Amino acid sequence: MRRKPFDPNLIPLPVDVPPKPTGPLTVSQLTGLIKQAIETSIPPTVHVVGEVSNLKRHSSGHLYFTLKDASAELSCVMWRSAAASLKFQPGDGMEVVATGGIEVFERAGRYQLYVRRLEPCGVGALDLAFRQLCEKLQREGLFDPKHKKLLPPFPSRIALVTSPTGAAVADMLRTIQRRYPCVDVLLYPVRVQGDGAAGEIAAAIKALNANNAALGGIDVMIVGRGGGSLEDLWAFNEEVVARAIFTSRIPMVSAVGHEVDVTIADLVADVRAATPTAAAELVVPVLSDLLLEWGEWPRRLTRAMHHRVEFADARLASLLHRAPIRDPFIPVRARGQLVDELGNRVERSTSQRLRFNHRRLTALESVVQRIAPHRHLMHRMVQLRDDALRLERAMARRLTLVRRGLNETRRRLDRISPDKALSRRRDRVTVLAETMNAAAAHRLILDRERLGHHADCLLAMSYKSVLGRGFSITRLKRRRVVVRSVRDVHEGERLATEVADGEMESTVHDVRQMELFE
Amino acid sequence: MTRQKLSFEDALKQLEKIAEQIEQGKIGLEESITQYEQGMTLVKHCQDILARAELRIQQLQQKEDGTLEARPMSLKEEEPGG
Repeated sequence: MRRKPFDPNLIPLPVDVPPKPTGPLTVSQLTGLIKQAIETSIPPTVHVVGEVSNLKRHSSGHLYFTLKDASAELSCVMWRSAAASLKFQPGDGMEVVATGGIEVFERAGRYQLYVRRLEPCGVGALDLAFRQLCEKLQREGLFDPKHKKLLPPFPSRIALVTSPTGAAVADMLRTIQRRYPCVDVLLYPVRVQGDGAAGEIAAAIKALNANNAALGGIDVMIVGRGGGSLEDLWAFNEEVVARAIFTSRIPMVSAVGHEVDVTIADLVADVRAATPTAAAELVVPVLSDLLLEWGEWPRRLTRAMHHRVEFADARLASLLHRAPIRDPFIPVRARGQLVDELGNRVERSTSQRLRFNHRRLTALESVVQRIAPHRHLMHRMVQLRDDALRLERAMARRLTLVRRGLNETRRRLDRISPDKALSRRRDRVTVLAETMNAAAAHRLILDRERLGHHADCLLAMSYKSVLGRGFSITRLKRRRVVVRSVRDVHEGERLATEVADGEMESTVHDVRQMELFE
Repeated sequence: MTRQKLSFEDALKQLEKIAEQIEQGKIGLEESITQYEQGMTLVKHCQDILARAELRIQQLQQKEDGTLEARPMSLKEEEPGG
C-alpha cells in the first residue's frame, strides 16, 4: 500500500463542521480531524519493531507498554483477549515485533498502537515458519502414525546421513560398535547446518533410496546431527527434508539435537530418537544378549526331540502289546487252512459216494444179467429206476448240504476277513464246488444212460426169446397196443401179430369172452 | 532360499515352527528328525554369522551419474568432537 504524504487540505471536513471555519477550532474538532487523518492514511494493520519499555500488566489483564527505538517512542495497548494467547512473557528491553492498528485515544489526546500479536524479534520468524509448515504437513497426513514403518529387529546394513566430522557420527558408530559389531554401516556425509544443508540431506535420503539395491539393501537409515541452536538445527525443519523422509521406503530414524529439540524431521520420521546415541541404540540389538538367546535354541530343539522320541517309543510299546500286530497274517492263514480242509473233505466224500454208487450199479447190472428176464423184468426195471432216483435225490441232498456248508463257511469268512488271501481261498472253494457239481451231474447222466440202455436190452431180449418158443404178440394195428383181453378189440378191427420171425395181419371176428367157470 | 540371505527374523520364525511341530507331534518321527537337524543347522548358521562379528564402515560419495561409490573407512579415523 502506497502511503500518501500527509496533506491536511486533502482531509474532508466533518459534516457537522462548516467547510470554512470562521473562528478557532474546539479541541474535539481538532482531535476529530487528527483521528480522521490517521485512519485514512495509515493501514489498519502495521508491524512495528521496537524495544519494550515501561511494561505494565493491569489487574484487568490488559498490557500497557511503550515501544521505542533510538529516536522515537510509541504507546502500545494489548487487550486481555490478545494478551492471553501470548506464547512468551514479554519484558522490558526485549526486542519484539508488534502487530496491530494505530488509533487515536481522544480523551488523552494520544495516538496508540493496539497490539493484536506480539512476537520476540528474530526467533519469531522461524517459529512462525515452523508452525506454518507443521500445520501444513499435519493436514497432509505426513505425521500420521499409519505411515510409520517398523524398524527391522536385526538390521544387517545401516545408513547414516549426517556430518562426517560431527560428534553425532562418532557417538553413533561407537554405540553400534559396542552393541552390535556385526553390521555394515554406510555413512553418507552431508552438511547439517547453513545454506544448502537441507537440500543435501534431502538429496542423500533420495540417493540412498534410489541406490538401495545396488548397495546390497539398507535395513534402516538414521538422519540427524548433534545439539545446537534453533538456527543450527533449522535444516531439519525444512519442507524438502520432511518430504524426503516421508517418501523414503527405507525405515527412517531421526536423531536431531538433544532431548528437548523437536524438529519437523522428528515428526515425519518413522521413529524419533532423542539423541544420535539413542538412535543407534534403537536401531541395533545387543549382540551378547542375542548370542545368549540363540544359545538356548539347541537346548530347546533337543528337548522337543527328546519328548517326541519318548512319545513314539511309548506308542510303539503299546502297539506291540496288541496281539494281532505281532503277525497280522495269523488269522488269515488259519482261515485258509480251514478252507483247504473243508475242500478236501468235500472232495473226498463226494468221490467216495460216487464210487460206492458206481459199484452198486455194477453189481445190480450183473444181477440183472444173471437173472431170468421173463419173471423179474418189470420189477427189476422199476427197482433200477427207483435206485437211480434215490441216488439222484441222495446226491442232490448231499450237494445241497455241501453247498449250504460252503455258503455258511463263505459267509463266516466274509464276516471274519475281507482280506484278499481269503477271497482267493473262497474262489478256490467255489471252483471246487462247481467242479464237483459238474462231475456229479455228468456221472448221473452217464449212469442214467447206461441204465436205460440195459433196460432196453433186457426188454428186447425178454419177449423175443419167448416168441422163439412159439408165443406171439398181438397188437392193435393202428395203435400198436398189445391185446391182453377180448375187451381190447372190436369186431372187424385190424390186428398185427408178431411171431419170432415176422408179423402178420388179421381181422377180428367172433369175439367171445372165455367163461372161466362154465 | 540361500543360506547367506536368510535373515535372523526368518531363521527365528523357522525355528519357532520347527520346535512347535516337533513338540506337538504333528509330524512323523522321521520328519521330526529331519526338522531337528535342519533346526540345528539353522542355529549354527546364525551363531556363526553373529560370531563373525566385525563392524564394517564405508563412506559413500555420489558420482556424477547419480550412483554411489563406497569407500571403506575405519572407526579410528573419526575425529571425536565437533
